[in-house]
Amino acid sequence: MTTKLAALSTTRRRFLKGTGAALVASATGGLCLPALAQPQDITIISNLSNVEQRQILQRLATEFEAKSGGKIVINNMDHEAHKTAIRSYLVVGAPDICFWFSGNRMKAFVAKGLFDDISDLFARENYKSVLGATTSAVTVGDKQYGLPMGGILWGLFYRKDVFAQHNWTPPKDWKEFLAFGEAAKSANLVPISMGTKELWPAGGWFDHMNLRINGLDKHIALMDGKVQYTDPMLTPVFDKWNDLLKAGFFSPSHSSFGWEQAGAALAQKKAAMMDLGGFVRSAFPEADLPQLAYAPFPEIEPGVARYEDFSVNSIHVPANAKNKQGARDFLAYFYKPENLGAFLAAEGAIPPRNDCPPSHDPLVNTAVEELKKVVATSQYYDRDTDPDMAQEGMTGLQEFMVKPERREQILGRLEKTRKRIFG
Amino acid sequence: MSRLWRRNRHWVTPALFLLPGLILFGTVILAASIETVWISLHDWDGIGAKAWVGLANYVELVDDPQFYVSLKNNVIWLLIFMLAPPIGLALALIVNQRIRGMRFLKSLFFVPLVLATVTVGVVFGWVYDPNFGLLQLVFSAFGATAPALLSDETFVTFAVAAAALWPQIAFCMILFLAGLNSLNDDLIAAGRVDGARGWRMLRHVVLPQLSQVGFIAIAVTVIGALRSFDMIAVMTSGGPYGSSTVLAYQMYQESIFSYRFGYGAAIATVLFVIMIVFIAWYLNGLIKAERSNV
Repeated sequence: MTTKLAALSTTRRRFLKGTGAALVASATGGLCLPALAQPQDITIISNLSNVEQRQILQRLATEFEAKSGGKIVINNMDHEAHKTAIRSYLVVGAPDICFWFSGNRMKAFVAKGLFDDISDLFARENYKSVLGATTSAVTVGDKQYGLPMGGILWGLFYRKDVFAQHNWTPPKDWKEFLAFGEAAKSANLVPISMGTKELWPAGGWFDHMNLRINGLDKHIALMDGKVQYTDPMLTPVFDKWNDLLKAGFFSPSHSSFGWEQAGAALAQKKAAMMDLGGFVRSAFPEADLPQLAYAPFPEIEPGVARYEDFSVNSIHVPANAKNKQGARDFLAYFYKPENLGAFLAAEGAIPPRNDCPPSHDPLVNTAVEELKKVVATSQYYDRDTDPDMAQEGMTGLQEFMVKPERREQILGRLEKTRKRIFG
Repeated sequence: MSRLWRRNRHWVTPALFLLPGLILFGTVILAASIETVWISLHDWDGIGAKAWVGLANYVELVDDPQFYVSLKNNVIWLLIFMLAPPIGLALALIVNQRIRGMRFLKSLFFVPLVLATVTVGVVFGWVYDPNFGLLQLVFSAFGATAPALLSDETFVTFAVAAAALWPQIAFCMILFLAGLNSLNDDLIAAGRVDGARGWRMLRHVVLPQLSQVGFIAIAVTVIGALRSFDMIAVMTSGGPYGSSTVLAYQMYQESIFSYRFGYGAAIATVLFVIMIVFIAWYLNGLIKAERSNV
């Protein structure tokens, strides 16, 4: 259109008219261009950062399209950006399916009536029989609001070849752990690789120490805001953590970088261990993966039963979805053991269904075995407590890791926040 | 009809031309600002119902140590950014010389303006990286260890602001270059006749003619410093432990991560009040300049 105009002997007025028309045409044309979902379409918003998983989701969607005749539109979002975007899109412009986290973070949206009750799908597909106790992660008041996805069992990861080379075994209790740290340092390795730029790794470390010292009930009471942050029960947690900090157990300047870089340090044999979930595998080159191994967080207080952080992701149908029936049908297809198994294997997560085909990933199989020894689980600091508290709390824990001498001040501030939020 | 049109067109035409702008400005800027002030008087999580709390958010703000950290960092940003106009002027004077290869050099100085701020942030994040960053390489060449600037609560704001200064200098340079191109040749010739050379020429003939541009450069820089946000988000996310936040970032964090839109709106309102002082000063200067031109 514009080229034609240029060819004409243009007067200014004609040119203005022409560009105006071109603008209007492009504006309205632009409106039609994006794949606007038809009512029978199914839209999915995914927060997957794993390329392989995205491909599998796409494959399953294409297969389902061929079977059902409907169309599936998948919109991929950045994982971190999705955490903030979900709040607005659940209210205006909800997709038919979205990814999220089970437990408390799901409950926040259920309480606001933003997730659809899919108990009917549970009953139809008889999910309770294959999910067992995991059902509780997506249950609020006897109703199910989502399907549990892959579980992440948190613990310490290390390289078998590094441990073999130095003749180390994973530390079982606190004394061994301290000795192991000294040994790692004298071998010129950072004992625990950690990157706290995104804050949550500090929250996880706190979880693990608190679970080993105070046990699950007291930990959950703290997460629910029923215990003060200045409570003496936390003194040994921070005392012992302080010992580690003083001894230089963690990566120096850990607040400069995130977990990916910390994971790379583990892969490159610059660090001995790292506190993470099975997804640490993405920091490892394919050839090094067989070296990666899991060890539970060491025992601290003898006699405290073994509790672990086990976080379960989930998938939901928003209450404002347009095609709820289609969403259910696709979820039923997606959630078939072979499909779900393939999808979760790509990220090294533990399948929630007990009838998924056995994994080829030894790490997943270890995690499944380990999980049988765990007495009970929490999810993770920022999934167990109020999001406002989590933000303030993880910031405070990061500060403690850098400036342990400010402990009183930090805990005082956290207590103030706890009081404001939980009363 | 045509008489009606003729009688009224002196105001209808400009009104019609202004209308789209006014509507946009009214909804996107004015209405949004007023609503922000309104929200700041409520306790609101962004989804549910708003609960009226009066001035409680502001009372809490006054008692919030993080607020003072942000305020202090805003001042640091402002001070560091004030380096941009003079450095930009100096660069403009240098690259404005007729020397071989200067054109190439000039385009090199333009580069940061072409880059998105986020890109600048990521690149500088790598420069500062304590493990493999350029800064570390430079330091290790001298056998020293570079400080981990982005994890140090005292240096972090300076480091981030220095990164943001880079494109800002380029921006000021372009403003001054444009100013230098529109210098009045008669005045310069007259100065030369009177024997002005070098520094005296610059000080008494060139600089006075650049005062308009200089004013704009300073005003834009001040506002740029106050609304700094993207660099912080990319380079530090406000960390370590909130020591590099500024008001704009704290507002974002409280609203989006802590789900406290009322509190976030209160911070936004405070930032708005601070900005309005500078904007009033800027407008005042503009209006004065326009009057003196008439």
